[in-house]
Amino acid sequence: MSEVATEPAPSAPSSAASAARRRWRLNSRSPIMITFYALLLGLVVGALVIITTTPAVLDAWRGIFHSGGGIFHALKVTWDNVGAAYRAMFNGSVVNPVSLWHSVTTGQNWEATLTPLSETLTYATPLIITSLGVGIAFQTGLFNIGANGQAVLGGVAGAMFGSMVHMPMFFHLPLTLLCGFAGGAIAGLVPGVLKAYTGAHEVIVTIMFNYVIYAFLLFSVLSTPFQLPGQQNDISRTIDPSAQLHPLFGVASGLRVNYGVVVAALVVAFAWWFLERSSMGFDFRVTGANPAAAKASGINAKAVIILVFVISGGLSGLAGIVQAASTTHYIDGGFLIGSAGIGFTAITVALLGRNKPGGIVWASLLFAALGVGGRAMQGATGIPLDLASVIQSAIVLFVATPVLVKEIFRLKSAPVAKLELATKGWGA
Amino acid sequence: MSVIESTAAVVSNRRVRVIAVMMGVLGVFSLIVFAVGSPSVAHSSFLFNPVNLSESAPWHVGTLTLNSRLADLVLALIMIGLAVETYVRRPARGVMVRFGGVAVLFLLTLLIWAARTPGPSPVSFVNLTALLIGSSEVTMVLVFGSLSGVMCERSGVVNIAIEGQFIGGAFVGSMLASTTHNFFYAAIGGALIGGAIGWILAFFALRYLSDQIIVGVVLVTMLGSLSSYLNLQVFTPFPQYNTGNLAPNLAIPLLSKIPVLGPVLFNQSGFFYLMLVLIGVISFALFKTRYGLHVRAVGEHPRAAATVGIDVVRVRYINVILGGAIAGIGGVAFMASQGQFQPNYTSGLGYIALAAMIFGRWRPSGAVVASVIFGLSVYLSYTLTSYQVPVSLYILQMFPYLITIAVVAGLIGRVRAPAADGVAYQHD
Repeated sequence: MSEVATEPAPSAPSSAASAARRRWRLNSRSPIMITFYALLLGLVVGALVIITTTPAVLDAWRGIFHSGGGIFHALKVTWDNVGAAYRAMFNGSVVNPVSLWHSVTTGQNWEATLTPLSETLTYATPLIITSLGVGIAFQTGLFNIGANGQAVLGGVAGAMFGSMVHMPMFFHLPLTLLCGFAGGAIAGLVPGVLKAYTGAHEVIVTIMFNYVIYAFLLFSVLSTPFQLPGQQNDISRTIDPSAQLHPLFGVASGLRVNYGVVVAALVVAFAWWFLERSSMGFDFRVTGANPAAAKASGINAKAVIILVFVISGGLSGLAGIVQAASTTHYIDGGFLIGSAGIGFTAITVALLGRNKPGGIVWASLLFAALGVGGRAMQGATGIPLDLASVIQSAIVLFVATPVLVKEIFRLKSAPVAKLELATKGWGA
Repeated sequence: MSVIESTAAVVSNRRVRVIAVMMGVLGVFSLIVFAVGSPSVAHSSFLFNPVNLSESAPWHVGTLTLNSRLADLVLALIMIGLAVETYVRRPARGVMVRFGGVAVLFLLTLLIWAARTPGPSPVSFVNLTALLIGSSEVTMVLVFGSLSGVMCERSGVVNIAIEGQFIGGAFVGSMLASTTHNFFYAAIGGALIGGAIGWILAFFALRYLSDQIIVGVVLVTMLGSLSSYLNLQVFTPFPQYNTGNLAPNLAIPLLSKIPVLGPVLFNQSGFFYLMLVLIGVISFALFKTRYGLHVRAVGEHPRAAATVGIDVVRVRYINVILGGAIAGIGGVAFMASQGQFQPNYTSGLGYIALAAMIFGRWRPSGAVVASVIFGLSVYLSYTLTSYQVPVSLYILQMFPYLITIAVVAGLIGRVRAPAADGVAYQHD
């Protein structure tokens, strides 16, 4: 499928039609099915984690040996707990059926009904943008593990411009977003140049750069011009209303989904055009697929590496400022930091979406739903939201290993679509 | 061995010159900022007695007071001399040793300058012993991590999951140390969990030929979120499992009485002695035994190794699991020096350990030297604030990471990774 999707479509209409058919046929060899099975396995892993760490479930199983509780009782308790967690996740990230029924029948409370979807979209918006950046790098055979730092620097740069420079919205918002892009691009430029000219492995350099940028973030929000005046805490000035991304349906609607969605849609369109139609994107993909062939055909490898990192970092930075300008409107010392930072989720999203713009959109929505649902689950059942991140990593581990998925589900020995990317060893 | 060594010794002149220039920059910086920056009447004192004068205090040594400007001048000139010597002679060996020496001298000149009296600093002395003891904790963890990296990468598997093994080891170690009050069990538990994570990495990398860097990164994400999940789910309701206690120091009689060296090397926790033993054992095993020859053959040319009857996959499994176990113990050691498990508190030490291994050219001895330098700079970035250095704490905190980037950019490519490092091996 991937071959069909990446190669320019043949001109004969019949073969194009059959290609389209092949693409949508859901058989066991389809990567879409592999992804679906991986999702299923990820949820199983999550369920196992819940079962082995929830006292009520463990007590029920222990009861079989001690107080003579039945095995069916234990199974029921297990089912109840896992079911409650996943139900809360679904209700909190997609739609609550009860609430939906209430709204449909009475025509009221649409805000509460639509909030989960709105939250998922709000969370997915910057994720899509970052993941596209990571995906473009992956397609060129480069592993941008520094997306998180680039997003942070983009957020800081954009928020500085958005909060400390004042002008009408017509100029302010685009320039703020541009500053975010530039901040991320600078953070991407350094590893790109080092990779191109000294051969320093981008994985190490970008990881180290993440920590440099985290330190810079704390420095910036604790230093005079950017820190909120009159504050001792690590909190920045507020971004001007003229540089904010406002809610799509107005503040009164209570739904947080915002014009960042438009930015994300534009970036998706750009990424698709860039990768599939532009000649520079073609150079990028050739470099990723076969560096030797790229060199032989006269592609300037150094320029490609630097440009990829500038674009990849720039998109991450854009995501950072979209995040800041749409939700909090300020930046604090914990902005995007942590093991579940957006840049790390983006790596898994890009892998899940197989580095294609379309796939990345779906994968972002899925992972955003998991993240938002995890929060709802924590509220409803007390199971920590980090479970969502565990499920996400498990899914990607399975997606990266299609053969294992095939073995688990005993699928027919069909050729498996391998994840088309390979990072290079340190020496390369 | 001789083949490997001779190819590794082939150094490109340009790279050596780059390193020499870096050394020279450090030297000139020390000369201008630190030596000239100290008033001619200022003096700095060195203390050699540990802060904690317990029953195993070393023999007393008096205070050494130096003229700040003169001392910095001499040290800076030595640094510049080393840089010039390296630039002109371009020695085939020992470049890294010279660079390490200059780095340490740089830190020393920085300290002398920071502690100058009269000066802005309320602390008018440098306690060398306390400094080394303090940094030895970080160094110890880095050594465990980089030895783990050496074990894995010499056999041809990139272990980027060191950070995850640290986290897993710290979690299990804290649980076992709190329940059994015995760090021996904690170490065994840490080794088991680290080995298990290593096995997962090996399983995906060797059996399913998944991309090793991606599997490693996903494992780190998974372990990070799993540990914060378990922290909330287990440690918060049952704090008795995470009481945390520091590993006791075991002073070696007589040896621990030696000034400076005694408290640093011979009055440490059991983990430190274990680390010393491991350095020797791994160096010996890798370079002087039949097993080590097999490992290195597998890491350089797996196909050739297979033709002479070495089971490539088995050797790699063994090494990755052993390496994981070592990193797991490193996680326990980190926990035992911090006292308690907290999520996300390894803050990238696993990645710094990876960089230390690269800096040390995939050799245990080099990794140890690099770990000492990195450990010193990490520790100094936290302690320099007490000298009221006119630079933000957060800017100082960037330094270990920036040094790592500079080192990787200046050295990688010149130093050669094992040829098959990170390359999937398929038996045919």
